[in-house]
Order: sequence, then C-alpha cells, then structure tokens
Amino acid sequence: MNPNESEQSRYNRRDFIRNTSTFGALMAVMGGVPLQAEDKPSANSGATDYSTISAPVSCGVIGCGTWGREIIQTLAALPNAPVVAICDVYEPMLRRCKEAAPQAETFSDYHKLLDKKEVEGVIVATPTYQHREIVEAALKAGKHVYCEAPLASTVEDARAIAKAAKAAVKCNFQSGLQQRADPQKQFVLGFVRSGAIGKTVMARSQWHKKQSWRRPSPNTEREQVLNWRLRKETSAGLLAEVGVHQLDLMNWLMHERPAWTSGFGGILAYPDGRDVPDTVQSILGYSGGVNLSFDCTIANSFDAAYDLIFGTDAAVMFRDDKAWLFKEVDAQDLGWEVYARKDVFYKETGITLVMNASKSVQQKKPETGETTVASADPTVRTALSAFITNSGIIRSGVKEFVESYGADAEGLAENLATLAKGRSHAAGYQEGLDATITAIVANEAVMRGQKVPLEKEAFEI
Amino acid sequence: MDIMADFTRSLSCSSGRIRPKFLVAAIGCCVMAAAALHAQEGSRYKASPIGSSVTIDGTSTIHDWTMTGHNIAGYLEVPAGVVLDPAKEGLAGASGNTLAAQAQVSIPVSSMQSGHEGMDEVMQDAMNAKTYPRIQYHLTEMTLKTPHAAGTPLEFDTKGELMVAGVTNSISMPIRIEPGEKSKLKVTGSVPLKMTEFKIKPPVKLGVFRTADDVKILFEWVISPPAPK
Repeated sequence: MNPNESEQSRYNRRDFIRNTSTFGALMAVMGGVPLQAEDKPSANSGATDYSTISAPVSCGVIGCGTWGREIIQTLAALPNAPVVAICDVYEPMLRRCKEAAPQAETFSDYHKLLDKKEVEGVIVATPTYQHREIVEAALKAGKHVYCEAPLASTVEDARAIAKAAKAAVKCNFQSGLQQRADPQKQFVLGFVRSGAIGKTVMARSQWHKKQSWRRPSPNTEREQVLNWRLRKETSAGLLAEVGVHQLDLMNWLMHERPAWTSGFGGILAYPDGRDVPDTVQSILGYSGGVNLSFDCTIANSFDAAYDLIFGTDAAVMFRDDKAWLFKEVDAQDLGWEVYARKDVFYKETGITLVMNASKSVQQKKPETGETTVASADPTVRTALSAFITNSGIIRSGVKEFVESYGADAEGLAENLATLAKGRSHAAGYQEGLDATITAIVANEAVMRGQKVPLEKEAFEI
Repeated sequence: MDIMADFTRSLSCSSGRIRPKFLVAAIGCCVMAAAALHAQEGSRYKASPIGSSVTIDGTSTIHDWTMTGHNIAGYLEVPAGVVLDPAKEGLAGASGNTLAAQAQVSIPVSSMQSGHEGMDEVMQDAMNAKTYPRIQYHLTEMTLKTPHAAGTPLEFDTKGELMVAGVTNSISMPIRIEPGEKSKLKVTGSVPLKMTEFKIKPPVKLGVFRTADDVKILFEWVISPPAPK
C-alpha cells in the first residue's frame, strides 16, 4: 500500500463490493439517480430538472502540438471547461488550435498567459523536459494545474514538480495519468484487488507500434525542437514517453512501487543519429518476487499494446478500453461468469470485464426495454472532466474557508482534505511522481544495461 | 440596546440640524461603539476550522443517502461571566438555567458532499445555492438541563431560527457540549426536518427513484473558548 496515494486515487475492496453488488448498482444508477449527467430528464419523465454539471473552470492550454490540440478539442466538448487562452511558441500550431477554441486569446509567452486572472486552470502539454518551469510558475500564479504525463524527464525535475504541487494547497494538481480517472479501469482494479485472480505471480506489458518517432520539418531549427524525444538530454525514452501509463497501471494494480529495475535496449531500426533506443525490454521487480516484464518498440507493430497480470486463479488482460478475465480450470466459480459476455482469443476464452455488465446490474430502459450497459467516457475526456470538477471543488473550498474563518486562519489544508469525498477519481502529484520515477529509472537501467534499485526515498516528497 | 434606542430617539429629534455626511459618520461610530460594548457583554466561542462536521441523512425509494460537510462558521456567545465548562457542576457563572445566549452559524451549501457523482450539484440546485449559498442558523435561547454533574456533557434545550434556501423556520433541538481536543469544546446535536418545510422539492428521477421528504441533520461543531483576558 502506498501511504501517500491521494484520496481520490485510492480504491479498495470495499469500494469494489459497493460498486458491483446489486445494491451498489442501484446506488450507481440512482445514487445517482437524479444525479448523473447523462440522466438529463425528459419532459414527460416526471423527474426533477436539476443541473448535474459541476461549476465551470476557465482553462488555458500551454503547448499546442498534436496532443495539446487533442486536449483543446476535448475541453471544448465539455460543458464546463471554456478554453480562454492558448499558448505555443510556434504560431502555426496556435492557428490550428484556434479552430477548436475560437474565443481563446493566443500567447507565445506562457508567463503572459499565467498573468491573466481569468485563467483558473492550466493544462501543460509542452515537451516533457519543459514541464518543470511552467508548472512551478503556474502554481506560483495560483493556477490549478493538469500536467501531462510523465511529469518530467529527470528525477530532479519530477520531484521539484511534486514538491511544488504539494506545497500549493490552494491549487488542484492533476497528473495526466488519465487511466486513474477511468471508471472502467477503477472497476477492474477493484476486481483484481478483491482477490479474484488469486495470488499475483507475474505481469507483462507491451507497447508495439511501428513509427520512427522522427518528425520532419523543412526548417532545421524547428526539426530540432520537434524531435526532442530522440535526444537523451531531453527525453527519458519510450518507457517514459509512452510507457509511463502502463507502468502506472501496474503500480496501481500491484498497489506498490517496484523495488528495482533492469533492462536492455538499443537503436535497432532507426540509426539516424538519435541516441534514444527504439526498442527496450525492461524488468521491474515488485515485492514477493513478482516481476513485470515490459517490451516497448517503435520498430514493429505486431500485437500492439496490452497489459496482463497473472494470478494463480486467473489472468486479466487490459487492451484498448476493455479487459478480459481468463480463468484457470481449478479456480472457484465467481457466480456471474456464465451470464457474462465472452470473447475468444486463439485457444482461450476471455470473460469480458465491463463495468456494470454482469446480468444482475444490467438495466432496462423503461421506455424502450432496451438493455443498456454503462460505458466509460474516453479516458482523456474523463480525466479532464475530473480536473475541472476537482479544481472547482478546491476553488469553492478555499473561498468558503476564507469566508468562514478568515484568510489567515490555520487549518486550510486539513479542511480542504475533507472535501475528498466529492472529488472525482484522478491521479495527483504522488501518483504522477511514482509513475514518472518508475519510468525514468527503468529507462536509466536500459541505458546502463544493468539492474538499478528504486529507493523508497526517491518517491518521498 | 438601550444605548441604540436612546441614540435613535435623539437623532430623530435633531435630524433636521445634522448634515447627511455627519449623520453617516455618527451612525457608523455609534454602531461600532455599540458593537464594542456588545462584545464586552458576552463570552464568544468561535468556530474552529478543524474538526467540525455536519451531516444530512435522507432516505429514498431505493437507498439511504448522506451528505457531509466540514465547514461550520460562526460563534456561540454566552453572557459575560458564564463559562461553558463540562468539568464543573452546574453551569459556572450562570444565574439561572436559561441563558440569553446567541449563536450565528452558517454552512456553505456547496461544502456538503454526498460522494455520488452529480448529486452534490443536484442538491445545490434544489437548495437554490446560487441565491442562498449558506445555510444559516441563529440561536436565540438555550436552557440548561439540570442537574448537571461535574465531568459530564452540558446538555441544553435550544430555540433558534434556521434558514435554508431562503426560507426561515423556528426549530427547537437539544444539544450537548463536551470537551474536545486542545481545550476546545464540541457541540453536538441533531434535528429532524422536512425538505418541503423549506420549500425544497425532494428530487425525483424517472418515476422509480424518489427522495423522501424527511431528513435528519446531525452536527459536531468544534468551538474555541474566548482567549483569557
């Protein structure tokens, strides 16, 4: 158990049972009832017409590359996340992003964006190595911060970001590990934590996608800027830039951080002057002899990306937005699997693990009789929505505290901590630091070709 | 209050000779003086930012629900000389069992949380939080339940006015005052209410889920004794 895991990221057996029992399902629907955003009542439903949308938070996005544009488009689709400012040093990028956020003011200097009082929350989607100075400045300016994952490309920068986020009591900080906000992942996590796979014995992850990572530009200077991932002084390589999410998932499932890491890698497909490996094989050691092996390559696409955790009773595979359970023949019956949807993978049959998909919790729409299964939002949307909700809660909590007890009263941090119940699940600075340190040190082991310990102190803020 | 009454009377007699600016200044000074005098009259126990909680318990056609908050602002003021000390027998410094005490308490509606996605916003909407962002309570009277043995909680019957969603109702409730952490006091109590008494329509969903009108408010309010003079 990670004692520093943030409140909104904690998930345990009790949560799982609550969410999967029939009672829990009804709670989810009603607890719910007047209460879910998707449940906007129709005119003849007899329902009370109340808003379920959390208060809006005005956003600024710093870094308008491909991912920044995705973020701006996602924010623009949310009902409570007006994008009021965008920033990038490269003007054509700003121009493209303006299409999704036509009302946004544009900046080439992020300091000027941070000077704008109207901007309450900042999403940092610049190259990883630039995160630290921007995040520190944003928190200093009193902005809520969503920092894309990984937090940084060096241990020192990652720790500095986490430290600044912890100290900024009045600011909501969210790490861009979006799976932490995904209800489907939370559901399966609870399933694994409840002991359904038996004793965990090993884990395996892979990320295979053929792409050179090199981005062309007719302008040499621009080409240098664009290809920051290919240089080890600005990039912690594949394990950090794409692997951090899968490493985070495994840390989350294992409920701990790895104690050591070892690995190998090389520039096998693209000897074009880069010094960051295009293929890596990493091993991470957890307690009790449980190891995770993780392959990452941009030289071959076969079998794409997935994560597998193996137990004595079953294995669980995560792939895309879905998960499947593969039971051993000698494992106990769970009771509901006969009703569950199944998919065949070569010679194996996987039981689909979809939130609220078991027969007992399937709901019939009263007006149509159609069977519905709650599906999760795309993870980025859910994560950004959580950022807006949680930033709004912190903003309102700070305001109410000052109104109630005065600006100088002690106890603000404790009081804000009591608001955790209303927050959406999301990765905080501790989860961001844990996954980032894991990825950076795993990359270091690959670069050195040797076993490297992950000291507990590295994760402490 | 006699001072204020005298001042108002004299003002009404002489207002024709006083210029408006002077009048405003005079009223301001007088109000401040009256407030200062008033402050000297009682012992004020101020709300502590840490340790308080307020809960609204409700039921529905499907399951029970709870909303909890931890922000209870305000103060409890008892007449000068009265000390709320559960360790002592009776009520130290009080001449009778009924105290001319007063309390002003307010709770931000948006600090109340259910843990259910979307429910907090629904309740804020139902309670018209945009117009009435705080639940307000004004205590007008508290009467000690006797006998009070030393070392046991002080128990009072109270009367006051509760304003929710802009609607004010008189409520009576028993409260207990017992020692808290670091020489603070913990005031606890509960009171059953109906949402409709405050013109709040209990939320309904699709004809299958209906919140019950009856709710119960429970609170633990931590207050700090006045600093020794």
